[in-house]
This record gives sequence, structure tokens and C-alpha cells, in this order.
Amino acid sequence: MMLWSTAAASANPEIVGRWQLVTERSSALDGWQDMRLVIALEDTQVEIAHEMRWRSTRYRATNTVDTAKPTASDSFFRIEQRHMAVYPAKGGVSHTTAEWIDAHRTLRTETHTPVEVSQGNVNMRITSEYRIGEGGDTLTLIELHSSRPRPLVYFFRKIEEEDSE
Amino acid sequence: MKLPLRLFALLTAGALAIAATSHAGKGRDAWVMNFDLDWSVAGGLPEKAMLISLQGLTNRTAPRLYIVHPPDFQWEITEPLYDFYQRKHHVDFTPIASADEALSLFKQYTKGYVVWDKTVGPTLNVAFTIAGLQDAVVVSEELISLVEQHGLKRIDDLRGRYTGMSDAEIYQDAYDRYWDQCIREAVLLQGGHRGRSMQPAIADWGIQRKMFFHDLSANPKHPAELALTKRIYEQMEPGSTIFGWHPYGKDTEEQATTLLSSYGFKMEGLHNLPNLSFNSQFTFTEGFKFTNNHTVEPDETLQAEEKIYISFVQSDSIGIGVWTKPGRGKLPFGWQVTMNWSKFSPAALEYFHESATPNDYFIGGLSGPGYMYPNHIPAERFPLLMSEAKEMMALLDERVMEIMDNSAADGNVGNTDLTKETVDRYYENFPDVIGFINGYGPARTRDLRDTRPMISYDYYIDPKRPREAVTDDLNELITLNAKRPYFLLVHVRESNDVNSLVEVTKNLNGPVEIVQVDKFLKLAASNKTYTTRYQDPDEPKHFEGY
Repeated sequence: MMLWSTAAASANPEIVGRWQLVTERSSALDGWQDMRLVIALEDTQVEIAHEMRWRSTRYRATNTVDTAKPTASDSFFRIEQRHMAVYPAKGGVSHTTAEWIDAHRTLRTETHTPVEVSQGNVNMRITSEYRIGEGGDTLTLIELHSSRPRPLVYFFRKIEEEDSE
Repeated sequence: MKLPLRLFALLTAGALAIAATSHAGKGRDAWVMNFDLDWSVAGGLPEKAMLISLQGLTNRTAPRLYIVHPPDFQWEITEPLYDFYQRKHHVDFTPIASADEALSLFKQYTKGYVVWDKTVGPTLNVAFTIAGLQDAVVVSEELISLVEQHGLKRIDDLRGRYTGMSDAEIYQDAYDRYWDQCIREAVLLQGGHRGRSMQPAIADWGIQRKMFFHDLSANPKHPAELALTKRIYEQMEPGSTIFGWHPYGKDTEEQATTLLSSYGFKMEGLHNLPNLSFNSQFTFTEGFKFTNNHTVEPDETLQAEEKIYISFVQSDSIGIGVWTKPGRGKLPFGWQVTMNWSKFSPAALEYFHESATPNDYFIGGLSGPGYMYPNHIPAERFPLLMSEAKEMMALLDERVMEIMDNSAADGNVGNTDLTKETVDRYYENFPDVIGFINGYGPARTRDLRDTRPMISYDYYIDPKRPREAVTDDLNELITLNAKRPYFLLVHVRESNDVNSLVEVTKNLNGPVEIVQVDKFLKLAASNKTYTTRYQDPDEPKHFEGY
């Protein structure tokens, strides 16, 4: 109970809200043209909804992580570079741990997700840091793949409800 | 007096017919005009439409009028081909400076004019249909005085006829009036750009051959247009060709190509492919034989080493791509050839062959004798279509077939896989190829039967993607596909710069070897580190079909 209270208490409510990708300051999306994050907190759970756009296609997918315990998902959403032949492994289950670090200014997650490539299924480890900017109106997502030499960096600005229309 | 005149006319027609069949190897006179890039309805389009219609009629019995487009035009080869005609076919071109001059020279090939309504876009296509059937030049209102100064009479006037009507209604009326007079083995899907700008550069071809012009939608959200398209298709000859391109903003390339494929038809694009009425009347030059830069023999056996083998291929029809840009030849590149150009533009194919570097290799495609989505080709039509494809591959000395089925894809992402049945048909119908490649964006259809692999693209290079990101993507693929050898097939979008790719390849990790696609497939046959896979019915499809 004490641990759960502590974990819940360490959640930073500044992460809650709608976040619009600033493309000119971010790593290039590939196979997507726009991205928004919609983040909500519920106790120790953090819901990260991805609202993606590719031409006229709109796609929404949510990952829920828990800072109190590891989570498993058979529908983990990875921000794919969609011109690469790397796909979610059919029937694969992704395991994620999450914690608040850096005086609760950063949500750090680590996901082990099975992906399908031309040689079969392999595991990819994705370490992500969602860093809340000073003042709470910017968010920087740094995503490091175990398979990629450089991290992907996505910079977001918080948008109000009326701005999101 | 009438008899000698009639005899003279017959002799002249006979001479023209003889000349028309023997351009290869003998010099001849022709005329050339230069176009700019203004295709706006309010600007340059009306005059261009008139000249293109005039071109189609003028070239009916001989290749007389050729149009050179600026280097920035989507088809980059008009100027190189113009040079080629002079050099290899000894065509002596006389430049024409104006539409007025063109009419003076060529009005003899017309019987009048038809007026299209600039406020109703589809009337241009209806006018093109009339042009072919009634030997009319196509004019907008402001060009009437010009053509009348040249003595041309009004044959039809579409102004006001179709005001307020939907596209489906307009084309239904055109169908009722003109379809019976049009040929049955081809139609002109004069789509592409719509609205304030249109680029009907292929219209000369449709006029020359009396095709029905339209830009009907294949989108199920436009049921009336779709129904009329199907009605037209149901009356066409087996193995027909749909020239042109789908209408931007009304439907998608995927929908249009899926639909025509389901009838066993071929798409031959684009809507702005110029000069077919001229190009189609030339053959290969005397003694020319199309030979490819093979890097392996058909029955050669290779053994792959513990390496990462990379092969680059560009499709998108060779004439609109990187061919004329600097850097070609620095890397082994496979080039998908529009095989039907052996019928419609053989000089263009000979030009590509002539200007190929040792690092350029030609492959067949897309999917068959024309652009088609094979998952939707009726099974009973498949063998005959692929027989046609094999004939052309033999003529063009090609040993690799590129397949593409985007029927379920979302642009160049998503589901681009082949069903097992489709894969079975390719293996059955192409016993002599070195192998097959598949995809446009990345795909995951793979197989190996006897010595013939089928490998899909593992990567598609978006020309807008920063080169550092491309390098990281390729390095990530190399890391994830850790077994050696790894066979990494890369699709290069046509507007990529070869020089930048050279830089990318220098920054790849591991024992990388870049090989030509024929050698790539031979190596892939020697050590199957890739899985066998086909389209999974559970995988989502962006478009479910009809």
C-alpha cells in the first residue's frame, strides 16, 4: 500500500494532455506525416495514446504502462519507420517496465517487443524517456532502439483542447 | 479530271503508308515544338490541348510532330529522345515556333474543331474522344478565332451541354454518343491532375487510335462512376490496355489498378506520357539487339558468404526517374523497364540501352505485360498475360521479373504481399527467370523454389528522408537481420539522388557488398536465411476491393 501510494504520488500530472509533434525539431517520421500524443494518468498507470496521420489515413493506438509493475501487451504500438520491413510479430507479447526519474520530470519506459523481419521474429528493446520541459508545455520523447545506432528524438508542444480541433 | 486526282491520292496514300512502316534506318523529315511547364486551365493548357490533339491527327499516318518538354517535366526523356531520333533514325526536325504555324502546316489532317468548356473539366475528355472519331482539333473558346482563320469548321461545341451535370452523367452521355465508335482494346483514362491544372500529354495517342477518353472514378464512394467504368470494361477485349492514369483526388492508384486488374487488363501510364503517336511508329534501328548487363549466367551457381548483400532497384518506369540525373553508374542499379514500350516507344528503350552504364541492369515488370496487381488477375487470364510478358522479356534480354500488388496498401506503406496462389502462378508461368522481386514499399512475400528465389523489398528509400536517417534505417535492418548472409533488397524511389546513396552505403555497418539484382538473386538461392511467407489473410488491408 505504501509502495503503491509512493508510486502514484510520484506521477507528474504535467505529462497529462495533448501533445503535438513539432516536425521541424524532431527526427523525421517515416510512413507517417503527423503525430500527436494524448497522455492520461490513472493511479500508477500512464496511458499514452498515439494519434497518427498518413495522407488521409488516421490511426489511433494506446500503450498503457504502469510504474508499479511490469505490463504485458499483445498490441504494443511502436512508432514504426514504415518503409522498413520490420513488423509487429503476430501473436507477440511486449513487456514494458516504467518509472519516474529525474525528480519526476521524466517518465522512463523500457519495452521488449518481438518484431518480424525477413529472417523471422527477433526482439527489439526500446528505451524511451518522456521528458517534461520546464513550464510543462513541452515534451521530448527520446527513443533508443537496441538495434539502432542513434536515438530518435521527437519534440512536442502541449496543445489546448480548442487547438486540437 | 477526277480519275487522275483519285489515282494521285491513292499513290500518295500508298507512299505514306510505305514510309510509315519503314522509318527505322531511313532518314525522314519531321517537325518539333517546345512546350513549357504551364498546364493551367487559365494559362497554357488550352493551347497545349489543341496542339496535342493536332499531334494525334497529324501523326495518324506518319510520325510528323514531336514535342519536347522541359527537363523539369515529369517525363525527362523527351529531349534525349529527340536527340536520339536525329542521331540514330536520321530524323531531320524543323522547329515550329507557334500554334499558328502548326495549324498552317497540319490543318490538312483535320476536318474541323470541337470546343470544350473550360468551366466543366470533363468536357476536355469528351472533346478528345470526338477529336479522334471526327478528326477535330480541340479548342477552348479563346482559340476559336485562330482555328477559323485557318479555315477549320466547327464540328461540335460542348459549351453549356454539360453544365451542372456530374462526371458520371457527363461520361454516360459521352458513352451513349461515342462508345460504339471507339476501339475496344484500349481506353484513355485521362486522369491525373484535375481542376485548375491538367496535363493530358498522352491524349495524342488516344486520338490517333480513336480511344474513349474519361476520368471516371474507381472509388466505391462514387458508385455511378464505378458502374460506368465496369460497363466499359466488360465490353473490352481480353488483355486490353488502360492508358493514362487515375484521377487525382477522386480515387486512388490502388483502386484504379485493382479494378482493371480484376478484368485482366494492363495499366500503361501516365496521363502525361508524351509523344506516343510519334514514338510508336519507330522500331529498333536496323541490326540492334537488346542486350542486358548480366552479371551472372542463367545456369550459374553462386555461394553466398557471411555478408550483407544489398541490391538497389528503381521501378516507376524508367523514363521518369533517376536515369538522367547525375550519379547513375556509380552503384549497381536494377531498372524496371516498361516492357510495353517495345511496342509503343521502342526508340526510348533503345536509347536507355545505349546510354546504360555497366552498372545498369534492366528487369521486367510491373507484374506482367503492363502494370497490374496480380492478386486480382483472374486465374484463367494469367497464363496468356504472362506469356505476353515472357515474350517481351525475351526480346529485352531480361531475366528478373518485378512484381507489385498495392491493392491492399496505403500508398507506399502497408500490405503489399502476394497470396500463395499468386506466388504459385508466377513460379508456374516463369520457369526460366533467375528469380522474382516483389513490392514497392517494403513487403514480406518470400519463397525459394528450385533455384528461383522470390524476395521482397526490405526497404524503400523515400527521397525526402534525410540521408542520415536512411543510413540508420539500413543499419537497423542489418542489426535486426543478424543471420549471415542477409539479403537486403532496396527500392529506390525515382527522385532519389544516386550520389547521396553512394554516401549512405559508405556508412553501413558490417561486411556489406552491393551487388546487381541478378547476382543478388543467385546468392539468395544459395543460402535461404529468409523465411518463406505469403500474404496473411489476417493482415489488415487498406482497401478491401470490390
